[in-house]
Amino acid sequence: MALSKEIYAAFEAVVGKNNISQDPGVLQTYRCKASQSSAHYGPYNHITPMPQAVILPGSTKEVQGVVRLCNKYKIEFKASTTFWSAHGYISSDNAVQLDMRRMKNFTIDPKNMVAQIEPYVIGATLQAEAMKYGLTCNIPGVGCSSSTLASTSGWTGGGPISVFAGVNYENFLCAEWVLPTGDIVYSGTAGAGGDWSCGEGPGPSLRACFKGSTGQTGDFGVCTRISVKLSPWPGPKYLPSTGYAPVYLADLPENFRAYCICFPNWDSWAKAVMKINDNYILYIGHRQFSMFGNKVKGAMLKIITDQDLQLCDLPALMEDPETDKFNKSIAIEAYIVLAGFTPDDLAWKEAALDEILKEFGGWKDEWFLEKDHENYLLTYLIRLGHKNLNYVLCGSYEGHYGLCGHNQVVSASVMEEASAIREKAQQEGTYMAATGGDSMMGSLAGVGGGGGPMGCEFFMCFDAHDPKSVDECRDFIDNVSRPWSLGKGFGMEMCNITSKMRRPDAYSYTQEEQNAMYKDIPGANPFVYQWYMREAFNPNHLCSSYYQTCDPKAVEKK
Amino acid sequence: MALKDFIPMQERCSNCSFCKWIPFDKVKSVRFAENCPAVVHGGFNTYAARGRFQMGLAIAKGELDYTDEMARITHECLDCGACDVACKVCRYNLEPLDHNRELKHDALLKGHILPAQLKMLDAFNEEKTLVVGAKKADRTKWAEGIEWAKKPEVLFFPGCKYSYDKKLQKTARNAAQLLLKAGVKLGYLGDAEMCCAGRLYQMGFFEQFDKRAGANIKAIENSGVKTIVTPCSDCYHAFKRLYAAKGLKVEVLHVVEYLDRMLKEGTLKFTKAIDLTVTYHDPCHLGRQGEPYEAWEGHEKKILNQVHTWEPRRPRYNGSKGIYEEPRNILRAIPGVKLVEMERIKEYSWCCGAGSGCSVTDKEFSEWTAKERIEEANSTGAEALVTACPWCKDNFEKAGGIKVVDIIDLALKAL
Ligand SMILES: Cc1cc2nc3c(=O)[nH]c(=O)nc-3n(C[C@H](O)[C@H](O)[C@H](O)COP(=O)(O)OP(=O)(O)OC[C@H]3O[C@@H](n4cnc5c(N)ncnc54)[C@H](O)[C@@H]3O)c2cc1C
Ligand code: SF4
Ligand code: SF4
Repeated sequence: MALSKEIYAAFEAVVGKNNISQDPGVLQTYRCKASQSSAHYGPYNHITPMPQAVILPGSTKEVQGVVRLCNKYKIEFKASTTFWSAHGYISSDNAVQLDMRRMKNFTIDPKNMVAQIEPYVIGATLQAEAMKYGLTCNIPGVGCSSSTLASTSGWTGGGPISVFAGVNYENFLCAEWVLPTGDIVYSGTAGAGGDWSCGEGPGPSLRACFKGSTGQTGDFGVCTRISVKLSPWPGPKYLPSTGYAPVYLADLPENFRAYCICFPNWDSWAKAVMKINDNYILYIGHRQFSMFGNKVKGAMLKIITDQDLQLCDLPALMEDPETDKFNKSIAIEAYIVLAGFTPDDLAWKEAALDEILKEFGGWKDEWFLEKDHENYLLTYLIRLGHKNLNYVLCGSYEGHYGLCGHNQVVSASVMEEASAIREKAQQEGTYMAATGGDSMMGSLAGVGGGGGPMGCEFFMCFDAHDPKSVDECRDFIDNVSRPWSLGKGFGMEMCNITSKMRRPDAYSYTQEEQNAMYKDIPGANPFVYQWYMREAFNPNHLCSSYYQTCDPKAVEKK
Repeated sequence: MALKDFIPMQERCSNCSFCKWIPFDKVKSVRFAENCPAVVHGGFNTYAARGRFQMGLAIAKGELDYTDEMARITHECLDCGACDVACKVCRYNLEPLDHNRELKHDALLKGHILPAQLKMLDAFNEEKTLVVGAKKADRTKWAEGIEWAKKPEVLFFPGCKYSYDKKLQKTARNAAQLLLKAGVKLGYLGDAEMCCAGRLYQMGFFEQFDKRAGANIKAIENSGVKTIVTPCSDCYHAFKRLYAAKGLKVEVLHVVEYLDRMLKEGTLKFTKAIDLTVTYHDPCHLGRQGEPYEAWEGHEKKILNQVHTWEPRRPRYNGSKGIYEEPRNILRAIPGVKLVEMERIKEYSWCCGAGSGCSVTDKEFSEWTAKERIEEANSTGAEALVTACPWCKDNFEKAGGIKVVDIIDLALKAL
């Protein structure tokens, strides 16, 4: 259903003729395979609906103009910026897609350690600009190609550097938000007519109202500007790197160290990580390359750090005794960066790390002590500019198992059991990449930031081009991984969150379906609360496709 | 490969958008972080390699047919290959640049040809050049009076731009005379020289390219040379990569490689000082696309259940082995010349805007692309922008705003 000439012209008058399109080819590039990034968005052959138009607003005023027109003509809208996942796309037939890429202004306030950014400032660009002032931003695990505003104003935004720089939702200060009705609100000190240096609180927060329980996926309106907290960067104004694609090696500044720390078993791993966090040693902490799978991670590390190697070299590398030794050394590991703010600071952190390693029988892997590999590790972790390696094996993956809690759940029995279940599945079927049972990846900072809890997921790589691979991975998670996870009391795993966002056919859940999903939640029901929020802020239901709600009447009926 | 053969790649694109940015480890600022002129200029995802994969998938599956707008966007791609390098920082099995070209080819096969492309095609068929308005009879005029070697070992191939553009002819002439003076047994095809057709390939005219490449390979083989040397980056790419795939066996060198070799051997020495701060623009088809050709024929093979590889091992073109140091060595060897680098260089360089015929077919886009580069060049404080390709030079000069110098002219001035 195309927009009528009158409606199209009205939008065009707001953004200009080059910034709106309803050409079918253009619209097609604002659709997404439902299985993108997660088999749980939907099966192989499902795709998000065709928008009625794609609109590129260039300012808050233009966003407001577009939203007001959506209200006038009762058209749904969804704003997204970097479009890395199915949740960024519309989920009904009567909707226009807003692409926020024209809004990329930013200012940095070095004194207050704050950046004010528009949507299309991504992690890489914000960090590069912040480094010029001796600052850095948190870059979430999705990597630096994604919009900092998207992960800050929504989602959690946890990643390797969050252990030091905080998780994005914690770093979220003020916002300028175009509400679903077209009104504009400002929050934090910006709302009080001050500068942009301080968020709301204490007490109820507008941010939480708009974000909803699943973050920005439950978006209310359009976020056009935020301020976000920055953290100290004790390195150079620009981190130069040598080498040609894809092996770029930053020269590790003298006051930095990058290590792969390894342990003899999971129990000592968990205890050591807790102690490291308790002592505030880390600048960066992540279990990273384990995502490739424990059988291949040594071989994969050799491939990604050598210009001449490719995936076809995996089998030979896996048979190589040297790689095998390396793989064994890094079986139970984490990747860390230490930064010294003074020479004494670095010396203390080094000494503390060594003592903790000694206490728990840990070691620093030798391969990573070689200069080039240490440099690669820092390059990788500081900017997360190689994050599409998540997809390198098969073109798609999903995170599963609900180990998203405290890192003390990581114990030998849990990890070994989880790994064995996956290992067995890889032997019995061919749908997932057979790269080993343990593919658990996650930040040592995790969902809460500041060290301690960790958010981890097991990677399951599937072929986005192979319907059987997509669909059977989905079955494995539903029938094996999820029951195991829930049985252990680990709560929601990643795929559970994704599957609640939209129906497998890539459309939004109807209110009736949501009522059925949420009416039996014990205690104070957050989705009933969100129902009231939506009715207050989004009365025409124009932009809340993922905002999970439960009609209070459905609960009363019980 | 037909468009439908790209379906596995189209479906395995992970929407990461790396193809819109320079490799992230190299990002220094918000201003110069983006790499794809088409998407920065056009705005919609459609213009980026990821959008081309998505649009191509729907076309290949028969779910979508070209509209005029889709055809226009399909051809609004400079064949610069910046997306290809950025994608391959992480992905080993996707070929965004090949796909961009195949999409253009598919559009052409279905009759979606731009009016300006028709004119280029006419010039190509009738006058054997892609320079619209040029006459075959005038092609050799630039070389009048040059005494070529009787039994040449090295073939000088100036290409259409140097042959016809009056402002550039002197550069080609000087380059040839320099090599001759240095004792190189240099020859020239003369009337037998025709357009290399590399640009046609970039535009998706594969069949026309094949025919011309076949004829040119015969002419080169008949000349009996062991080496071709060209001052044009487009011709260089055509011979080094595209003709090599069609069986051309001779060594292919760009003039900058030849000069660099002579510098190293001591047969060339710069004696005159030139007091100039310069920045160097890497031409796409000499830099990231100037990697040597490696023959391959094979098929996909899955290992470890679902991991995609190729059997036998497939060459990986990711820009890492392009021609970057040779021109820089020349600049560094000229006394008085100070080289300052732009933010986007080497394999992640920003295009000049002339690729894939866009300087003819899409003038506004092409000039905008050049202006972006000139702004970047000016931000370094350089007095001149040096390049090693006549198409880049011409496009920068048309856009204006900085002094543009051909590296050959600069080198000759220092002798
Ligand atoms: C490979 C991968 C790995 C990931 N790993 C992590 C991880 O380790 N840690 C973590 O915290 N998260 C992770 N995520 C989730 C991730 O944080 C978000 O996907 C990301 O931050 C947003 O980037 P995007 O490109 O998906 O954004 P977008 O496509 O721009 O949007 C994401 C969401 O935000 C909304 N949105 C975007 N811009 C606006 C705006 N201006 N106004 C209103 N709404 C807007 C969109 O509607 C959409 O719902 C991962 C995602 C992927 C794809
Ligand atoms: S070849 Fe160049 S212009 Fe074309 S899509 Fe790739 S980066 Fe953009
Ligand atoms: S083409 Fe490559 S870089 Fe671009 S979105 Fe797809 S996978 Fe990412």
